[in-house]
Amino acid sequence: MSDPFLAPNTEPAPEEIELRAAEAGQDYEVQLESLNQWQLAWRKFRKHRLAIVGLAILIVLIAAAIFGPILSPFVFNEIPRPDKAVYAGRPPSLNHPFGETGGLQRDVLQLVVNGARTSLIIGFSSMAIGVLIGTVVGALAGYLGGFIDNILMRIVDVMLSLPLLFVILVASQFFGNGNVLLIIIIFGVFSWMGIARLVRSLFLSIREREFVEAAKAVGVRDRRIIFRHILPNAISPIVVSASLIVAGNIIGEAFVSFLGFGVNPIYPTWGNVLSNALTFIPVGNWWWPLFPGLAIIMTVLAVNFIGDGLRDALDPRSRA
Amino acid sequence: MTKYVIRRVIQAIPVLFGITIVVYMILLAAPGGPTARFANNPRVTLEDREHFKKAWGLDQPIPVQYCRWLGACNPDVDEKVLGIFPSPAALIGPNGWPNILPEAISGGSNGVLHGDFGVSVDSGEPVGPRIIRAALPTFILVSFALVIWIGIAILIGVYAAVRRYSLFDQVATVFAYVGYAMPTFWLGIMLIFFFSGPGLNILPAGGMTTTRISPPFGSNEYWVYFGHKPFEALIDIGRHLILPVFTLVVVNIAGDSRFIRASMLEALSQDYVRTAKAKGLPGRSVTFKHALRNALLPVVTNIGLEIPFLFTGAIVTETIFSWPGIGKLTIDATRAFDYPTLMGLLLITSILVVFANLVADVTYAFVDPRIKF
Repeated sequence: MSDPFLAPNTEPAPEEIELRAAEAGQDYEVQLESLNQWQLAWRKFRKHRLAIVGLAILIVLIAAAIFGPILSPFVFNEIPRPDKAVYAGRPPSLNHPFGETGGLQRDVLQLVVNGARTSLIIGFSSMAIGVLIGTVVGALAGYLGGFIDNILMRIVDVMLSLPLLFVILVASQFFGNGNVLLIIIIFGVFSWMGIARLVRSLFLSIREREFVEAAKAVGVRDRRIIFRHILPNAISPIVVSASLIVAGNIIGEAFVSFLGFGVNPIYPTWGNVLSNALTFIPVGNWWWPLFPGLAIIMTVLAVNFIGDGLRDALDPRSRA
Repeated sequence: MTKYVIRRVIQAIPVLFGITIVVYMILLAAPGGPTARFANNPRVTLEDREHFKKAWGLDQPIPVQYCRWLGACNPDVDEKVLGIFPSPAALIGPNGWPNILPEAISGGSNGVLHGDFGVSVDSGEPVGPRIIRAALPTFILVSFALVIWIGIAILIGVYAAVRRYSLFDQVATVFAYVGYAMPTFWLGIMLIFFFSGPGLNILPAGGMTTTRISPPFGSNEYWVYFGHKPFEALIDIGRHLILPVFTLVVVNIAGDSRFIRASMLEALSQDYVRTAKAKGLPGRSVTFKHALRNALLPVVTNIGLEIPFLFTGAIVTETIFSWPGIGKLTIDATRAFDYPTLMGLLLITSILVVFANLVADVTYAFVDPRIKF
């Protein structure tokens, strides 16, 4: 509520806005509101300290993933020729801030930076696939209802009863071939069920709202109602749970690749650069497993913080 | 109540059916299929392979194979409907009873529905006994971990909720975030470094028993040894348990303590808690008698839902610490493309999940009088 004595009301009267909009022939209300919603969300997001920290960490990691391999003095495909052969690898020093791996004595920092590329790409792309499938399935089930809803939700039930880590492990071994693209698809195909349930429940409630009824009454086609009228109202919970999928898939991929069923080591990820680390534990190499693990923890923390921030920011009931 | 239970059981049937289809897809997906093991054997000719396929019914259309794999179809009946589906006549066993009944009655073949999971491609043993043998170590590991982590998670969650926004609550929140973000396998590696690495070296890095002093766990020799020196054997297993149990506890406390905190906060904000406080009851009695009891309702169901996932959730921990349980069997079977074992494991765990869901829903409905059927 603005105080008329403190700030002169410079906004045009509502009738005038309506008149102008009618002249311009545009749907003014929707545009105004959608613009405000995102600005408001950003304002609320900025106030969430942890979310900003998370965003900063993620930006740094993405920058490292993009520019790191270009700036690094080491070439990934080359076997290093260390000036001194040490079986366990040398601990962190100025030349190798994260130390060297055991055996081949590769630079751990270089592995972490190169791994960031693949790990982040896998985390985000598989999330995109999962969200896409989940949204379409959930939207169809929630909007159409009836028989299709029943079938789709039983499929979701079946897939949620499977131990997913197990299935992903087996699928990666049987079809993965160590190929990054195939691993992305496998993780994407097994991460849509939560989103589908969420979107379905949102659609079930939004479907009954007046503006959908109005759209139907004026003869808008189903596809347009789903994508232009209902979906924009369901975006915020989808975004929040998408952040959780990114975190889960990064950890999952690291585990599968660590065991050697995931991505081929010629494309380093935070998981597969660790696959031999256990062998060098008895000779005292702790820095090799430490840093890729910290990278995973930082990324997952950052993504979770951002998710928390988005949850608060996109919730219309929370105040800025 | 009975009606509700029956309805839930009926709802579970299509899900179970779907699970068998998904599990069967593993067989279809296995590279090279069932004849892959002959690929590198020069003494098996192409004709031999064709003969093998015919003898085992692998030349049949997929729905017929699936039906026989379930044990619902009699493999001696060759009739088909529409060329690919098994005919109704195939559902009857040689004795005139439905083939789906146990072998003793129907006289037909057994299948997955009868608990016959076939023979491991890798070791040549029957899959069922192999899984049962691996289940005991997993059960030991998981039950210890479960008791400890639920206990600690309840303590942390309740205390954090009662002293909301206190220093303890904030520290617990940070630990929960980090614990949630920490990959289990990485925690395991770091623990092995600290406690069995060159520095400290006070705990074994893996396995279930010390190879030097005892036979492998589960073998007949082991039980003889166990009979001779029970205390020594128990202490040995106990020492091997510490690190994997600690790993499972740390990783799982994170999520559960948050869940319990949220549930407790919800209970503490209820009207009856305020009423009890207003009546002048001591704070402790309100917290434990009024709030905690109600807060534990969702926790109990949540634990019920977690139990079946433990068997696969321990995959990571068991692999790192070479614990000879279900998780390690899974990894070994995956590595060897041992699809019969994988199918058995997947089927059993998925059925456990469905069953746990059912039990959790029913108990929840049973303990919460507000739920109407």
